[in-house]
Order: sequence, then C-alpha cells, then structure tokens
Amino acid sequence: MFGGLKEKLQAARNKLGSSIGAIASAPAEAGEAAAPATPGTTPATIHTAETSGAAPAPAAGFVEKMKVLITERELIVSDKNIADALSELEMTLLESDVALPVTDAIIAHVRKGLVGKHRKIGESVDDLVVGALKNALLEVLGKGFNLAEYIKTHEHPVKILFTGVNGTGKTTTVAKIGAYLKKQGYTVVIGAGDTFRAGAIEQIGVHAERLGIKIIQHQEGADPSAVLYDTVQYALSHKIDVVLADTAGRFHNKSNLMNQLDKIRRVMKPDLIVYVDEAVAGNDAVIRASEFDRTVGADAVVLTKADMDSRGGAAISIAHTIGKPLMFLGVGQAYDDILPFDPEQVVEELLGGS
Amino acid sequence: MLDGLSTSLKDALKKLAGKTVVDRAAVDELIKDLQRALISSDVNVKLVMELSKAIRTRSLDEELPKGTNVREHVLRIVYQELVRLVWASTEVKLEPQTILMAGLQGSGKTTTTGKMARYFQKKGLKVGVICADTFRPGAYDQLATLCNKIHVPIFGDPKATDARQIVKDGLVALKDQELIIVDTQGRHALEADLIQEIIDLNAITKATHRWLVIDAALGQSASEQARRFHEAIGIDGVIITKMDGTAKGGGAMSAVAETKSGIVFIGSGETIEDLERFDPDGFISRLLGMGDLKALAEKVEQAAIAEDMDVNAMMKGKFTLRDMYKQLEALNKMGPLKQIMGMLPMGNMQLPEGVYDVTSTKMVRYRIIMDSMSPKELDDPGLLNSSRMQRIAHGAGATQEEVRELLKYYKMMQRTLKTMRGGGGKFNMQRLMKRFSGMQ
Repeated sequence: MFGGLKEKLQAARNKLGSSIGAIASAPAEAGEAAAPATPGTTPATIHTAETSGAAPAPAAGFVEKMKVLITERELIVSDKNIADALSELEMTLLESDVALPVTDAIIAHVRKGLVGKHRKIGESVDDLVVGALKNALLEVLGKGFNLAEYIKTHEHPVKILFTGVNGTGKTTTVAKIGAYLKKQGYTVVIGAGDTFRAGAIEQIGVHAERLGIKIIQHQEGADPSAVLYDTVQYALSHKIDVVLADTAGRFHNKSNLMNQLDKIRRVMKPDLIVYVDEAVAGNDAVIRASEFDRTVGADAVVLTKADMDSRGGAAISIAHTIGKPLMFLGVGQAYDDILPFDPEQVVEELLGGS
Repeated sequence: MLDGLSTSLKDALKKLAGKTVVDRAAVDELIKDLQRALISSDVNVKLVMELSKAIRTRSLDEELPKGTNVREHVLRIVYQELVRLVWASTEVKLEPQTILMAGLQGSGKTTTTGKMARYFQKKGLKVGVICADTFRPGAYDQLATLCNKIHVPIFGDPKATDARQIVKDGLVALKDQELIIVDTQGRHALEADLIQEIIDLNAITKATHRWLVIDAALGQSASEQARRFHEAIGIDGVIITKMDGTAKGGGAMSAVAETKSGIVFIGSGETIEDLERFDPDGFISRLLGMGDLKALAEKVEQAAIAEDMDVNAMMKGKFTLRDMYKQLEALNKMGPLKQIMGMLPMGNMQLPEGVYDVTSTKMVRYRIIMDSMSPKELDDPGLLNSSRMQRIAHGAGATQEEVRELLKYYKMMQRTLKTMRGGGGKFNMQRLMKRFSGMQ
C-alpha cells in the first residue's frame, strides 16, 4: 500500500517545488532590471502580496513587494503561484482514493502552509514544500496505536470488539490479531459474535482451531450479545489476557443492526472498539466510519486488503474523518500478514528522499 | 455532507435554469460540480475527466433544442453520456449456461451466488452451484447453507485444496442441471497464482458468462482491478453488491467502462431474495445525488410546453381559457398523445386503448371552439352565458354541448392547478388523467 501515492506525491512535490522555484528566479531578474521602474510598468503580476484576500492598495503592495524582494531578499509565495500545482495535488489525492472532503482539507492545509510564506533566497524550495505536505499528512494521520503496549498497561482481560460493514475482513482480522498477540505471549479467547452470516461460525472456528486459540460459539442465529458475554465470562474465570469479539458485518444505515451492536457494547463492555474497513474503499469509507464512530464509538482502526492496491487513500480519509488512530494494516491472506501502523514512518516513506 | 454536494450541483443547475443561451462560464461551473459529484461517488477520476470533456463539448457545440432552457439541455447531455456508459447490453438469457463468478475478497461473491441461484430458480431453470473456494474457511458451509434453504444442489468439498479438480468433478456431478454457477475464491489482480487459477477455471468450465462482483464502496482501484480481471478471463458483466449501504457504486461504473460490459445485477440486502436487475436511471440518480434526473432529461423531449405557458401566472391561480389554449397548442406540438404519456411517470396506470386518439381529436375540437371566442371571453370565462355559447357553437361549427364540455374541462384544469398549488406536491398527472378520461 501507499506505493502509488508515494509516486504521485513525489510528482506533486516536484511540481509545487518548481512552480515556487520559477517565481523565485523570475522576479530576481525582474528585480534587477526594473528596480527603478514605476509601479505601472513593473511586471508585478507574478506575485503580488494579495495573500490575505483583501487587496491592499497597489502602491503599498508594490512597495511591500520590492522591500521583500530587494531589501530583504525574500520571496512571498502567493496563491496564484501554486494554484496549478495544488490542483494537481488535488487530483493526486483523489486518484489515490482520498475522499473528496478530506482532499479539500489537506489542500487547504498545504495552501495555508505555503501561501504567504516568506522564503529566504537561500532556503530550499524542496524543504518548504515537503514541510507543508508532511505537516498536512501528519496532521491527518495522527498518532498510531500500539496494541501490545495498550494490553501491557491495562487490566486483563482486555476486551476488544471488532465492528464494520459487510465483507471488510473482520473475521480474518480477528484471527490475525489473535495470532499476533499469541506470538507476543498473551493468552487469547475469541468470541464468535457473527451468528448471522451463513458459514461465519465455521469460518472463525477453523481459524481458531488452526491457531490453537480457544473459541466460544453458539448456534447460528443466536444472540451475539450472549455469545460475547459468555466469552468475557470465560476469560475472567480462566484468567485469559485478551478477548477478541468478532461481530457480523452490518451497514451503518440499518438502525436495528446498529442497535444490536450497541447492545453488544453494553453487555460486554469492551475496553477497545476496533473499526475494520478495507483499504480499497472509496468515498463511502468516510460516511460509514463517521456513522460507526457516532453510534457505537471507535477507538482504533484496522485497514484490511492493503495489499490489493497501492493507493491507501482510505487510511487518510478515515483517520481524518473520525480522528482515531490506525492500529494495523492487513496485507495478505496469511496469519502474519498484518503490520502495526506507524504514521511517522509512513509519511517519512511517502515523502522521503528518493 | 453528501447532501451538501448534491445541493451544490443543484445550485449550479439552477443558474442555468432561466438561461436560453449557453453560458460558457455557467456550463464550466456545472461541469466542475458534476465532476465533484461523480468523484465523490467513486467514479474513476480519469473517466470523470473524459466524461466531463465530452459533456462540455456537446453542451457548447450542440444547438439548443427549441423551447428548452440551458439547464435542460445540459442535463439531457449529462444523462445521455452516463447512460451510454452503463447501459451496455446486459441481457440475462434464461437458457442453459455456465456462469463463473470473479471478484476481490469480501466483495460478496458467495452471497451473490446464492441470490443468483434463487433468481434463476424462480425463473424456472434447474440450477446447480459449485463451490470452488478452497481457501476461505467456512466458504463451503456458507454456500451450502444458502443453497439448502432453496433446495438447489451444491457441489463442493470443504477439505479439498484443488479448485480445478473440484470444478471438473462438479461439472460432471451437476451435468443434469441447466444453469451452473461457479463460486470462486476472492482474489485480487496482484496475486498471480490466483489469477492463473481463474484463467484455468474459465477454460475448464467453458463459462458462458464471467461476471465480476464489485462492492459498491470500491474506490479508484476498481478500474485497475477490472482491467486485470478482464485481461485474464474477459469479463462480460458486472454485479454491484452492498447497494443497501450508503456507497454509490461509482467503482462499478469504472469497472463497466474498463471491461466494456454492462451491469447485470444489483445486490441490496442480506436475504437471498435481495437481487435486482440493473436500472440505469436509479443508478445514475444515485451517483449524482439527485433523484429527478430522468424526469428533467425527458422534459426536453416535451420541448414546446415551457416556451408557451406562463407557468408563474398559473401557479398564482390565474388560469384563463387563453392559457388553456396555449396548453393545448403545446400538447399538440409534442406529437401523438400516446407517446407523451409513455414518458410521464404515471406508475402502472393503464389507460383504455381508445382514449388516446379520442382525446387528441377532442383537443383539436376544443381549440377550434376557442378560436371562435372573443379575446375578452378568453381572458374572463365568467362572461360566457348561453347566448354567447350559442354564438360560439355556431361560429365553430359545434354544438352547445361541446362548448359546455370545454368549459367543464377548463374548470377541471383550473381546479387541478389549484390543488397542485395548494398541496405543494407534484402535478398529479394521474388524477388529472382519470378525470380527463372520465369525460369521454
């Protein structure tokens, strides 16, 4: 994941850099040639100081500009300079599945970071651009979530409830996280809370058996709250470290199913609610994440199917929308195909050197 | 948020509403909002750019059809371009065939396989299902549970690991069934061995159709994934799943464009009956976040009306015989009444076969009668006493009865317009027609 985004961000960064670079060289020449010129004849159109929106008096703008240009040898980046490059960046983000409102927010952030900036002649254009992009992305992605650390510092059993819409990979994720925690030395019990979908109980049952993890399951059609309550009771009486509660996929616009999830939450009192969605989801990711967050809450996010595609915009969309940290990325079909998510590392990689 | 988006599209459209000359800037603004609407519905960005280019060119180049305003003109083009894209031939034949299911993990292949088995079973075909998913635990159980509920034979083995062998055996075991659906494991384009597997399965089954199952929420990657699947096995239809959520299915549109195929089915619910044939109008309305697109597009076909009638005055309650005359004239311009009625959203209302012809003849008679009225009478029908009616009937070569009938029709129209204004709802065409046909 993120490979494609990285490539495109690189291009956007070059473009931003060169459009700022271009204004840097053009006025420098203009400044030398036209230093004594009157305001009327100066090619002042390239970048006037109209960054605040309200147009300043022409004379003041010119004086200000000349002062900055010649006296202080600095440049002001204006909206106009980077408009093209920003719209290219916008396309880049949209093509990478970053949802439209989130794209708008990032663009605004980058613009704010660049426009009106006084740049010293010696300062590298690249640094300026990378800095603005990096800030915008980090702001959006926030901090990661260290599950192992969380379990270490909280009372056991730590009860984790997995939620999400249909087909995002909750059951597979539960199995993967079970394997991950087992490897870390924790004892785990899984609750087969998807009692709705045909074959779901068998599916999680096979996973648990393969991994050697205890599973609590009822019949198909049973009350999921009861299954998960039993799972928690089992964990308490057997001193198990972690409870992983699987649930049936449900759409956020089905109030009866969301109420059922709310009941599950009341009954099992989870320490963590993990929202699972897929990395290939488009704009809907934003809508459903915010609905799940609003109705039952979410403490962390797992993004699955990150190996399908190199974009990864959904990560940015969801993180920005609900402001909750990304915990893991699912990157394949095997049990160990799960990666803890580290935003700084990701951003560093996205914008890093090469 | 989404509502806001479609509002902005509507605002852009509003700006075009009153215009009769194509305004480049306004069209550009509309195109921009259209792009945003489509992109936020997950239609591939490149596809959106191509589409909007075509729409822009056509909007500016094509002559404004007489009597339409710019908004209607542009909307019709938008509608046509979008329909052109999704409305490929997706005929589902009810005959012996083999269907191979393909798609990404978690897109809903197995659920859809169950639904399709039910669909074809209800159409009277002997259906059999093969479970070729040898990877995901519980896949066979899931499909078997679905098939057992509807008594459709299923072939599979939860312990087997070779999908190719299962399909070979399955084809033999189910050779008495007329229609066979092969459910496969979820896979994505970058998994080379799995892509090879589905190529082999396609060869083994000699599948009649290879349908790609696409989650309505799938984003920009839909194009690329569809392209790779298409290259591997030649996708000839797309099924959109999970349309009961809030996702718009733009990814499926990209997939259709990529595979040059059409949308076959739409899955929108968790029960086995929740499978529908594709309806392009509903789909496009949802993509754009506006419900009345088709109606608006069709309004253009009824060109003459907008031009001749003073809708505003009528809405204020002022409706004279003169207005009715214009209305009848406009209706006449629109061509055979039957054709017009076909375009109106009247549900399943059935009109008696003869009604159309009689009615249009009647309309011509009414106009002739009105031609014999004085301007004063046209503006104020209250003036019409029996001696005036006699004069009019004489002048028009009609009977007094016909003149009275005309006045009855006029009063009915006036009442209908009043109710329309009062109720704030849509023009109740159905009720109007009922009264209308009752007058024969």
